[in-house]
Amino acid sequence: MISFEKIAKVWNVYGDFYWEGLGNTLWVAALAVVLGSVLGLLVASGRMLTIKPHENVVSKVIKSVLKFICTAYVEVLRATPLLVQVMVIYFGCTSIGLKLSDGTATRMLWGLVAVGLNSGAYLSEVIRSGIGAVPGGQMEAARCVGMNYRQAMVNVILPQAIRNILPALCNEFVTIIKETSVLSMVGIAEIMFQANAVSAASYIFVEPYIIAALMYFTVVFPLSKLVAAFERRMSRSVTR
Amino acid sequence: MSLANNEVLIQVKGLEKHFKHVQVLKGIDIDIHKGEVVAVIGPSGSGKSTFLRCLNLLEQPTGGHIIFEGSDLMDRKTNINALRQKMGMVFQSFNLFANMTVLKNMTVGPMKVKGMKQADAEKLALDLLGRVGLADRGDAYPIQLSGGQQQRVAIARALAMQPDVMLFDEPTSALDPEMVHEVLDVIKQLAKEHMTMVVVTHEMGFAREVADRVVFIDQGVIQEDNNPKDFFEHPQNPRLKEFLSKVL
Repeated sequence: MISFEKIAKVWNVYGDFYWEGLGNTLWVAALAVVLGSVLGLLVASGRMLTIKPHENVVSKVIKSVLKFICTAYVEVLRATPLLVQVMVIYFGCTSIGLKLSDGTATRMLWGLVAVGLNSGAYLSEVIRSGIGAVPGGQMEAARCVGMNYRQAMVNVILPQAIRNILPALCNEFVTIIKETSVLSMVGIAEIMFQANAVSAASYIFVEPYIIAALMYFTVVFPLSKLVAAFERRMSRSVTR
Repeated sequence: MSLANNEVLIQVKGLEKHFKHVQVLKGIDIDIHKGEVVAVIGPSGSGKSTFLRCLNLLEQPTGGHIIFEGSDLMDRKTNINALRQKMGMVFQSFNLFANMTVLKNMTVGPMKVKGMKQADAEKLALDLLGRVGLADRGDAYPIQLSGGQQQRVAIARALAMQPDVMLFDEPTSALDPEMVHEVLDVIKQLAKEHMTMVVVTHEMGFAREVADRVVFIDQGVIQEDNNPKDFFEHPQNPRLKEFLSKVL
C-alpha cells in the first residue's frame, strides 16, 4: 500500500540524497547534450559531404569512408537501447584498462561518454533535418550573388536552420534528463541511483521511487512546456 | 529595332543536359549579345528553365560550352563564383533571404563577396530600392511583403551586384495576376537602360513588346529564334505554330 505518510517520512530522512541525485542528473544531462551537440554537428557535416564527379580519387575515397563511418554511427546508436550502449561502453572501456584513478570519476566519465554518444546520433539527425528544412532556393540565391558554399552556409542557411534546430535541441535536453536514469546501472549517483539506495537502506520499496518520479516530473514537465512555447515563438516569426 | 551591338556576351555551343537517363537539353547553340533582351518561351518540360539555369551553372551541363566574357564556364579552372557575381538571377519563387531585412538582402552580396563598405552598399541598395518603387521598405522582412514586392526586391538584389547580364526564370509565374505588371514594368525599365537580359517567360505580350529576340525551345532544342514581329506573326516551325495557337 502506498502511503503519503511513508513518502513524507522517506523525504524527511533521505531528502539530501535526492537533492544530490538531482544535481548529478542535471549536470550529466547538460554535459551530455553539449557533447552530443558537438558530435552531432561533426557527424551531420560528415553525412552532408558531397562527392563531385571530377574530384580526385583520394578525396573521393576519404569522403566515402567518412560518410560511411558517420552513417554507421548514427544507425547503430539509434537502433540499439541506451542501456545496452552504456553497459558496453562502461564495461568495455574499463576492461581494457581505460580507467581513472578514482572509481566515481571513471563511472562518470564513461557514463557521460555513453549518453553523449547516444545524444550525438540523435542530434546529428536533428541538425541535418534542420538544415534540410531550409528551402533549396535559399542556397541557390546565395550562390547566385556570388557567395561560395561556406559563405552561403554561414550567412544564409545556418541562421535559418538554427530556428529549426534550437527547439529540438532543448527537447533533447529534456529527454536526456529522463534517460540518464539508466546511468544508475553503472553506479552514477543520479536520481534513480539514489532512489535505489534509499530503498535498499530503508526496506521501503515503492515510496522512494515515487519521490524519484515526482522529482523527474517537477523538472521535466515545466521544462517541456517552456520548450513548446519557445518552439511556437520560433516558428511564428518566420511564417506568415 | 534591336539596340544591341554586335559584341557577344554569352556564347552557348552544343549545350547538353542529362538528368539520369533523360536528356533535357539536346544541343543548344545561341549567342547572346551585349544589351540584348532575349525572351525564351516554350511548353512546360521543354527545357527552357534548365537552359537558363545552366547559364550560371545552377545546373551542371553534361556537354557543350558556355563562354561568358571570354571564360568557358565548363572549364573546371574557371572561377564560377567570380563569374556568378556578374550574372544576376531572378527566380520564380523570389528566394529572398528569409533571415534578413530587405536592405540586408541587398547589401550582403556586395559586402561579403565584393568587399564593398557598408555605407556604400547601403547607398547603392537604397538607390536601387527607389528605382523599383520600394524606397520605404528597406527595414521590412521578406514575409511582410507581397509577392510582387518581393520579386521587385529580388531584382534589386541582383542589380546590387552590378551584373553584366540578368537571368530571369519565369519571374511572374508565381504572382497574383494584379501584381504581374509591377514586376514587368521594372524589367521593361531595365530593357530601356540596355541591360542584357535572358527572360524565360509565359507572358507572350511582354516577350513581343520588350524582347529584341524571341527563342522557342521545345524537346530540348531551339526550334525557332527570331525577332518578335516575325516570331509571332510568321512562325516557321510547325511546333511553334501549334504552341502559339494554344497560348495566343
